[in-house]
Amino acid sequence: MNRSRRKKFNTIDAASLARWIVITTFFALTGLIYVYRTIQLHDLATEKDRLEKEIVAVRKERDVASDQIAALTSRSALQRRLKEGYITMIPIAEHNIVRLSGNEIDAIRPVANQNAGK
Amino acid sequence: MKWNVRTRCTLVCVAFIALFSIFSFRLVYLQIIKHDQYAELAAEKHGYRQPIYAERGAIVDANGEALAHNIPGRTVFADASLLKNRDAAIKLVSEALKIPTGVVAERLASSSRYIVIQREVPEEIALALRDNLQKQNVRGISLEHDTTRVYPNHSMLCHVIGFTDFDHHGIQGVEASMEQYLHGQDGYRHIERNRAGKEIVLYRGQKREARDGYQVHLTVDLHLQNIIENEIDAAMREFRPAKATIILMRPQTGEILAMANRPNFDLNLRSDAKPEQMKNRAVIDMMEPGSTFKIVAAAAALNEHKVRPDTTIFCENGLWNFGGRALHDHRPLGDLSVQDILVKSSNIGAAKLALSVGDQKFYEYIRRFGFGDRTGIELPGEIGGLIRPPQAWSKISITRIPMGHEIGVTPLQMTMAMATIANGGKLMTPRIVKSITTEDGRTIATFSPTVLRQVISPETAAQIGKALRGVVSDRGTAAAATVPGFTISGKTGTAQKVDPKGGYEKGKYVVSFIGYLPAENPQFVGLVVLDDAHTADPNLNYGGLVAGPIFSRVAEKAARYLDLEPHEDVGKQMTAERVALTNASRR
Repeated sequence: MNRSRRKKFNTIDAASLARWIVITTFFALTGLIYVYRTIQLHDLATEKDRLEKEIVAVRKERDVASDQIAALTSRSALQRRLKEGYITMIPIAEHNIVRLSGNEIDAIRPVANQNAGK
Repeated sequence: MKWNVRTRCTLVCVAFIALFSIFSFRLVYLQIIKHDQYAELAAEKHGYRQPIYAERGAIVDANGEALAHNIPGRTVFADASLLKNRDAAIKLVSEALKIPTGVVAERLASSSRYIVIQREVPEEIALALRDNLQKQNVRGISLEHDTTRVYPNHSMLCHVIGFTDFDHHGIQGVEASMEQYLHGQDGYRHIERNRAGKEIVLYRGQKREARDGYQVHLTVDLHLQNIIENEIDAAMREFRPAKATIILMRPQTGEILAMANRPNFDLNLRSDAKPEQMKNRAVIDMMEPGSTFKIVAAAAALNEHKVRPDTTIFCENGLWNFGGRALHDHRPLGDLSVQDILVKSSNIGAAKLALSVGDQKFYEYIRRFGFGDRTGIELPGEIGGLIRPPQAWSKISITRIPMGHEIGVTPLQMTMAMATIANGGKLMTPRIVKSITTEDGRTIATFSPTVLRQVISPETAAQIGKALRGVVSDRGTAAAATVPGFTISGKTGTAQKVDPKGGYEKGKYVVSFIGYLPAENPQFVGLVVLDDAHTADPNLNYGGLVAGPIFSRVAEKAARYLDLEPHEDVGKQMTAERVALTNASRR
């Protein structure tokens, strides 16, 4: 009696089930990780693109700043400023300019002609 | 007929097999056989070769000061096929770019898919325009990468630097001659775009980085350039010549330290300049050199040992008939040493020196000094001048060429000839480009000094140099060219202006002075040429009186800048008026 009643139950092969669960979980996780990583890659690529654009923008700003510096400090600009009186040049008197000799210690030699510029 | 279950199952299976076989064959056909074709179509639709723009290299002077560089900008263009709301587009573009609406409307009247509205639009203006177009949902106006070439010193050194065209290719000056270095190489990368046209950054394909153009370092020193620009401007105001040129050069290396021409133009407003203003007269203009050319005749005779510096030559008291034509000196001169022929600038003496070496030999020396050939400087459009071979000379040519007639030379050639004297007889190749580097300073190429040939012996060069010291003295024709504290060797030139229709133009002269200092250890050679100068007294239109004082002012300032030590007290500089009274400077 007992034998025939036991036959009516489906036996569960726990080991097989566990194997399938592990395999399924593995594939599911792999899939999820793949999707997660792919999204992460897209995000990183977008971030990279944003940074590249930022670098380009910074480079452009640098070029514009360099241009402004060059425009304000070029000789023609400085001369114009000098003419307009924004800047002045104070000539150094002849007696304030000295040339120290390389050979003789403490020897002072002429630096420019004494007559020019007068 | 009644089909049993088995038959029906078989039929269904066969149908499925057939269906999936068709699918499989189709898949194989599409994926393998037609792969390339469809891959190409897909690439065309979604793939895009995105350019990575290279930046044009900068041009800097010998001290690294910027002469030409770029600022970012955009080209605003329209696609007529996408332009639906034309009136709104015209209004927005006109307001943003400050162009009259009529002009914009005229440009947009075309049906082209690429209509350039404006180039070199500053970045911030272009981006603001794009935002406004997007806000008002106006399609058909787009922005394209562009840069603006900027020259911070405007007209200074304009002929040397040159400029670029709309496509940023050099078309004049160093911009053109150094194009291969200045022009970078655009890169690219293959990208894929989604349906909205946005890049799918993850699927970026092959990439080639852009290589920016190299930086070109000139030999020109902007400080010296500034000196000669100020002096040439002063000369233009004082003498109102048609043209003028000043060159400063280092004789030992052939480096051009400064070069200025008039008329000139503003490099940032080049579209307004006239062709006459754009000519670099130092290398493309031909002139009869006048008496400055006597150094060639004297050098030839001395180098061939036909004469010695103290050999006396009779100068026929100012009038000599040769070949049936009279040759005059500016005043009666009797017996003169070879040195004094240069100091007094005797035409007859120079003619006799040339005769002593003969036609063929004299011609050889002219060519050895570099006349008739391009100097090879890194500037486009250079000419070689005009020197006829002896076979084409007339009987009197041998007496006219030594005084700088019947030949055409460029100001640079004349400077090189004087530099040869200053450099112990060695003719150098002139250079205006010092080196090529990357933006971060890595050297790509350097241009070292090149000796072209030994034209005359060092002894002959020293003898000529000694004679030329006398020219810049109270005895010579260029007393007004002295710089107190320094000895100068130099030569004046006054040539009647050649009439393009033939003969000479009466009352018009090309006056010049070429010299170097300090005479004993030359640090620079300077040339001043004024074409058709106007003096208060027409009888004072001579090289020694007009070009000499300009040289003196340039040389004095340049000597200070170069920190040259004055060695001897030469005394006060004579004014041009005082020199004129001596009557010696009239040649």
